[in-house]
Amino acid sequence: MSKDMRRADTKIVIERSYRANLKDVWSLWTTKDGFESWWGPQGFRADVHEIDPRVGGILRYDMVADTAEMIAAMKQMGEPASTAIRSRFSEVKAHSRLVLTSMIDFLPGVDPYESNIAVDFFAEGDHVRMRVALDPMHSDEFTKMSVAGFTSQLTKLDQRFV
Amino acid sequence: MQIDPFQVLADPTRRRIIAALRGGEQQVGDVVEKAGVRQSGVSRHLRILSESGFVTMRPLGQKRLYALRSEPFREVDAWLTEYRTLWVARLDRFGMALEKRQQKARQSTKRKNQA
Repeated sequence: MSKDMRRADTKIVIERSYRANLKDVWSLWTTKDGFESWWGPQGFRADVHEIDPRVGGILRYDMVADTAEMIAAMKQMGEPASTAIRSRFSEVKAHSRLVLTSMIDFLPGVDPYESNIAVDFFAEGDHVRMRVALDPMHSDEFTKMSVAGFTSQLTKLDQRFV
Repeated sequence: MQIDPFQVLADPTRRRIIAALRGGEQQVGDVVEKAGVRQSGVSRHLRILSESGFVTMRPLGQKRLYALRSEPFREVDAWLTEYRTLWVARLDRFGMALEKRQQKARQSTKRKNQA
């Protein structure tokens, strides 16, 4: 793969505003119980083993199938029910910005490359606006799921629960 | 192995070629001019784009005419929609987790004040 091909300059950007303070919003990304309380994705839970929100610090967790349907789906596809994920905090500005970088090194025939999730936090009155910018397809857990071929199933589950 | 459409689109030169083909069928010479890429590069990338199904070629006399196919773009679009859906659900959960956390904090403050 050429160097250019590694550079994904198309981003998906999703913004949300929550009635909360910066400290709480920040802690959902940077503490074990915070991160585990929402990361999922749907049908999965995250078991965090290491979370060190400093520049270069590691985030290591297992993505574990957590519903009967998902466990069955994984089994049917011959995929393990638990996948180890490792990222690092490549940028950390407390209560303001963080970037999680993952190495995508498990795709057959594709040179390893890095992918980012960049999050910016803005205090606005009694709300916090959170802006998440994603390299499409490049988050490691989603890429893995996509390789395993069950993202459409995930979407269905999401639709059922939302 | 099937060629990943995202890898095809990740290359800026190929994106320029795709943009040049947006107006409809063209010859290599026109693509070279519009995309501002050397002929050898255009030929190589057109081959990759053809192999990955983004572009079709039909001969017309001496000419070879290249055009875009919609299928891989639809595939990419569906993929991005799925990815977005995953994140929308994830950020919904983020909001719920945040609310729970705040409730807990309020309760513990209350308890402290009562004590």
